[in-house]
Order: sequence, then C-alpha cells, then structure tokens
Amino acid sequence: MNPDIIDGFTQATLASTLAATAVGCLLGLVVGMIPGLTISTGIIIVLPLTFVLPPDISIALLLGLYVSGMTGGSFSAILLNIPGTPSASATALDGYPMAARGDAGHALGLAITASFIGGLFSFLCLFLIAPLLADLALKFQSPDLFSLVFFGLTIICSFAARSLIKGLLSALIGLMILTIGQDPMMGTARFTFGQVNLIAGVHFLTALIGLFAIPQLVDNLSAAVRDGQGGTSRARIRRILPTLNDLKSIRLPVAIGAPIGAFLGILPGAGGPIAAFISYDYAKKLSRSPERFGDGAPEGIAAPEAANNAVTGGALIPMMTLGIPGDPVTAILIGALLVHGLAPGPLLFLERGDFAYGIIFSFFWANIFNVIIAFLGLRYLVKVLAMPKSLLMPIIAILCVIGSYALRNNFFDVYVMFGFGLLGLAMRWLDMPVVPLLLALVLGRPLEEHLRVSLVASKGEIDIFFTSPFSLFFLAMAGLSIFWSLNAERRAKKAARNEMESKQ
Amino acid sequence: MKILNALFIGTAAVALIAAADARAEWPEKPIQFIIPFGAGGGADIEGRLIAKAMSGVLGQPVVPINKPGGGGAITYTFVKNSAPDGYTVAWNSTSVLTTTNIGNVPFDYTALEHIGQVAQQPVPFVVKKNARWNTLKAFMDECKAKPNTLKVAFAGFGSATHMAGVAMTQLSGCKAIMLPVKGPDRRKMILSGETDAAVDIFFVPLKFVKAGKMKFLAISSGKRNPAAPNVPTAKELGLDMEFDLFRGLSVAKGTPQAIKDKLEGAMIKAANSKAFAGRMKKLKLTLAPMGQAQFNAKLAKANANIVAIMKKAGIYKSKMKK
Repeated sequence: MNPDIIDGFTQATLASTLAATAVGCLLGLVVGMIPGLTISTGIIIVLPLTFVLPPDISIALLLGLYVSGMTGGSFSAILLNIPGTPSASATALDGYPMAARGDAGHALGLAITASFIGGLFSFLCLFLIAPLLADLALKFQSPDLFSLVFFGLTIICSFAARSLIKGLLSALIGLMILTIGQDPMMGTARFTFGQVNLIAGVHFLTALIGLFAIPQLVDNLSAAVRDGQGGTSRARIRRILPTLNDLKSIRLPVAIGAPIGAFLGILPGAGGPIAAFISYDYAKKLSRSPERFGDGAPEGIAAPEAANNAVTGGALIPMMTLGIPGDPVTAILIGALLVHGLAPGPLLFLERGDFAYGIIFSFFWANIFNVIIAFLGLRYLVKVLAMPKSLLMPIIAILCVIGSYALRNNFFDVYVMFGFGLLGLAMRWLDMPVVPLLLALVLGRPLEEHLRVSLVASKGEIDIFFTSPFSLFFLAMAGLSIFWSLNAERRAKKAARNEMESKQ
Repeated sequence: MKILNALFIGTAAVALIAAADARAEWPEKPIQFIIPFGAGGGADIEGRLIAKAMSGVLGQPVVPINKPGGGGAITYTFVKNSAPDGYTVAWNSTSVLTTTNIGNVPFDYTALEHIGQVAQQPVPFVVKKNARWNTLKAFMDECKAKPNTLKVAFAGFGSATHMAGVAMTQLSGCKAIMLPVKGPDRRKMILSGETDAAVDIFFVPLKFVKAGKMKFLAISSGKRNPAAPNVPTAKELGLDMEFDLFRGLSVAKGTPQAIKDKLEGAMIKAANSKAFAGRMKKLKLTLAPMGQAQFNAKLAKANANIVAIMKKAGIYKSKMKK
C-alpha cells in the first residue's frame, strides 16, 4: 500500500486534527442552519484562524464546516421553510410539508441520513478518482492546462448565471481586476498607480469577503429593520432516528442523488443548488408515486440532501488534482492551502502525498462527525435559529475586517474589502452573479500564466493549443459548453414567452 | 486618498512614540519581525524559527508578521519607513538585492542597514534523470549549437533563480528560451518534459534528485554542498560566478549602533541554537551566520554581481517609473 495513504490517515486521525474537524462540523451545522449565512460566510468567520493554525488543522476545520454546512442548511429548510443555504432549497419542497404535518424529527433524521450516505459516496469518489486524475494531470503541459482552465471558466459562467451574458461579464470583471499588480511573467507593475500596496494585486480572499459578506450583512440589516426578529419554528421534534422502513424507502433517491451530486461537484461552477434540484427532479420522475412529491415525501428530502453532500467530495477532486476550484468554498480551500505555501495540483500528491491523503481522510472524518453531531445535538442546535440577528451580524462584520486585515497584515486590504462590498451590492442590484467574478479571480492567474508560458515556449505560435490532443479536447468542451448554455437560454426565453402568451 | 493620509499620519504618530521609547534599555517591548513572503514558504518557516529563538535570547517577544508582495518590495518599504529603533526588523533575503535593482522600489539595498546573515543555499541547475545531458557543459554546448531551442524554467523575472539562470547561460554563451514558472509547476514541467531544465531553489528538487527522478548538473555557490557533494559548482566548471540565496536581518537606516550590535549578537546566538541549527540541517540549508561587517561586504559583492547580471540581461531598473 502507498505509504502516503497510511501517513495521511494518521495525520487526519490525530486528536488535534479530529478535534478541528469536529469543531468545523459544529460550526458548519450552525452556520448552515441560520438563514442568511451561507457556507462561504461561515468560512470567512474561521478564515483568520486558519492563518495561524497549521495547514492540516486549518483544512480539517474548513472541511468540517463545508460538509456540515450542507447538512445544516436542511434544518431551517425543514423547520422554517427557509433554506439555510442555497443548496438546501430543494429540501424545503418536501421537508417543510412533512414538518408541518408534525413529523419534523422524522424529516430531519432523513435529511441527516441521506447527507451522510451522499457524503460517504463522494468520499469514495475522491479517494479513488483523485490520485488517478493527479497522475494523468502530470502529463498536462502548459497549453493543455490553459485550455482546461478556459473550459472551467466557460462552465462557471454558464452554470452560475441565469443569463450567460451576465455570467461572462462578471467573469470578465474578475479577469480585469486580476490584472492589477505585478504580472506573473515579467514582474511588470500593472495598474498599481505607484501604490506599493497594489503591487501584490488584489487577494481573492479579500475580494470574497467583500463580495459575499457585505451584501449579506446589508440584506440582513434591512430584513431586521423591516420584519423585526425572524420566525421561530414551533414544530415539535420527536423521533429523529429513521426506521428500517425509512431507509428502504430512500434507497432509490439516495442512489440517484449521490452520483449526480458527485458528478456535478466535479464540474466547476455547478455546485450544490443545481445538483439538489436535478436529483429531486430525477427522483420524482423515477418514483412509483410522483404525486406524493411536494407533499412531504421522504424521497423528496433524501434525493437533494444526498446530492448536495455528494457535491462536496466531487468538488474536492478538481481542486486537489488540478488546482481548479468548483465553487467558492473550494476556492477558499485553495486560498487556505496557498497561505501555507501548499499549492494544490498534481504535484501535491508527489511532493506532499501524505498531506494530500490527509485532506482526503479529513474529509472522511468530517462526514462521520457530521452525522454524529447532527443526531446527538439536533435538539440543542435548532435553538440557534432563535438567536437574535442583532447579535450575530455585528460579530460577522468585525470578523470581515479582521479577516481581510489578517490575510497580509495590511490595513489597505480592509479598504479593498469594503470596495468589493460596494461592488457586490451593485452587482446584486444588477442581478449579476458574483461567483464567476470570484472564480475568475482564482482561475485568471493560471489562465494567464499557462497562456504566456505556452506562447514563450512555442515562440509565439498559436497552433500548440490545437496540436496537443488534451488541449484540443478541452477547447472543444469549452465550445460545447458555450453552445449548450446559449441554446438552453434561448429555449428558456422561448418557454417564458409562450407562457406569457398563453396567459394573455 | 484622505483615508490613506490619515493612516500615514497615524503611523507616523506611532513611530514618534516608539522613537521616544528607544532611549531606555533596548529591548523594552516586543519586536516586529517582518517576513517578506507568505506564510508557509521557506522564508516564513525559517523566519518564524529564528524569531522564536531570538525571543529567548532577547527576553522580549519577537513577533513574526508576513507582509508579502512585490518580491519583498512591501516589506523593505515598510521597514525602511519604520522608526530606526530596532523594534521593526526585516527578515531579508537575496530579494533585498533583486527587487531593488530591478526597480520595484525607488531605493537600493543601502537604504536599509543590515545586521547579518543566518543561512544560505545554492541555486541548482536541474534536469530530468533520464535527460541526455550528464554535465552542464553538454547542455550548454547543445544550447550554443542550436540557439533558442532548449528551454530553461526559473521562478520569475528578477528572482534569485532568474539571476543564477541568466548568469549560467550567458557566461556559457548559451541562448535558451527562458520560461518564468512558479513553484511546483516548475518541477512538474521537468518531469513532464515540457522544459529541458530548470534553475530552482535547492532543497525541494533535492527530494526528487534523491528519489531518482531528477539530477543536478551544477550549483551556483562557490563551494560544493554537503547534501549533494558530487554536484560541481559553476565556478569549478569554468563559469566566473558565485551566487547564493541568503537570509538575514535588516533594520531602518539610522538605527543606533548599540541596538544593532545587540540584534547581531541575538541573531547569531539564535542561529547557532540547537533547535534552529537542527531544523536547517533537516532542510539541507547551510547555516552560515555572519555579523554586520562580513555581511555588508558580502552584500556589496553580491549587489555588484546582480547589477552586472541584470545589466547583461537588460532588466536593470527596468521596472522603474520613467
């Protein structure tokens, strides 16, 4: 057996790493549960901590948060009909009716069980696929990597946005912001206006804090002013643990949800919400009694919950083997690794195989702790839903400032963070997604570096992008993804128009 | 801009208060230890270790703070503008010569005062294990015969590996395609055959050399390295060069001599401490503590060397605002 696997397992199973995983899970459940706090916000909260903790412990903490955030989101979706995270939106469709029927405990138990199975399935995918993909990725040369990153960007734009144009524009803004600072090849200062602070460019974690947290804070503030305190659930939680019959009834939806989630997780940009809705849809279509869906069917809870937790392990595959993030959370994981001087990519498995497997096994433990903490602590955890926002929001605001300062110990970054907060508000007002911008900030660097290294190596000949089979394949995929999303958009518009006409 | 001004005034006020403190017995309060590169890298790990060891010697916390950016430009600017009281120390490296000479900042290394060196490492010329060249000469001969065909990867324009690479190729009369590539990618490109050779830092590719996946053709320093005793130096191979990647301490200009001497003593004591020396040995870095006089002489020589290499490569002060 590969000694790295054993080292990685040992590293992930140390008491300190396990403790970090458990704390991450607890935080994730809480953050996921509170509507208005996404997993990204949760990660922002612990971000300053990860700068001072050793890398294996930081990653364990973040993975626990990621996995449990997906599960926690379903609690508020079931109890309040408000999804705690976007990924839990589909869970509310059947979870809330079931809870309204007085079966809240049952619904939560199903959600936790389905999450657990989905998570374990994606752990297996990660454990089996990642090393193979890393091996293959070692053969990729700069032109191939350029085309791969380019493909990733096109998928992100098409998945993350309702309108392809808005998605592309958002990514374009990200790429433009990326050009600030020293260029990666020659070290020439670009758009720094003589500011020493701008030489290093905008750190994407600073941008992330501003883009995600500030609009959310503004939203929560205006919601608090408008409606006063949010609603609390009056649903009684009785039996939580699912029965054998329950497990039998969710066999099929989980078997559908888990692979769909893992697969969509691998694709950059798709992420939890889409995977959850697609598997809900399939579970409904393949069910023997689809009419029960939407009315508190156990299958309708199990399918999306298995899918959104399976996304996590899937998304870790391209993040670890190619250094390409699938969603904001994995982008942050890359950032957290880079802060510690560990660059995710195929070489991580060669140079620090123990660490790479350590991440994989920490992910495994995160799934275990997730189910344990969720089942044991459910009754206490749901009390968090009653926590006043007026207490929570100032804490998060302060952590935003600390986080963006602590990143480089530079107060300039705090202004940059607020600047991105304003940008995030403007983009929300324009109905423009921020995820493409954020991922463009992460992917833009490799995009530029691989493009320019390729061109230097080929002495300016563009045909190297078309002569390498890998590169050609990825470029074709990129073309396909753009064509597909344009087509989908056209059809959606047509359907909307038809509906309008039929109404008139 | 107003906010920035306020910030500068604020910093200046803090600096004034700090200056008043310096009159008492130094050190009276924690010392800021500024690391010019990000957390987790070589500079950071070694920096944190020496800072910890120095805390023990000085009896005051020496607090490591990372201020990465601009190949050290941010840190050197920060320390240059700090109060000359010994409470702000830069963990310098060869970058104090490269980022200044390439023109990222409008000053040269003499804008700071230097306490001494802690450690150094050679810059190796690396190829894949089964590459057709077994000596640096064989590589350079092929390169001379077929200009602009062989590829040599290095860390980035103006970096230490770039300087060493330019020196090795130009002194041999070789015209290679120079590929600026970051950290792990550089190693990957050697393994995948995308680049023919790379100029790299010493201890990371050393692992690959020991694993039988790469080989060193030469190292840049004046003396052979005990971790790879069979690898000749460039000088032995007839190239008139001597180049090291070093790390040490710098402070703001005008720092009182008494404080500098105290820092120097603490640094050398910390460098020779068991914990630090053991760690250096494990990383295969050469522990070579030296004080102000010796280090300043070394810097002057190394600076002249780097200016010469940069001028040859046409990048001297190339980033200067015109």
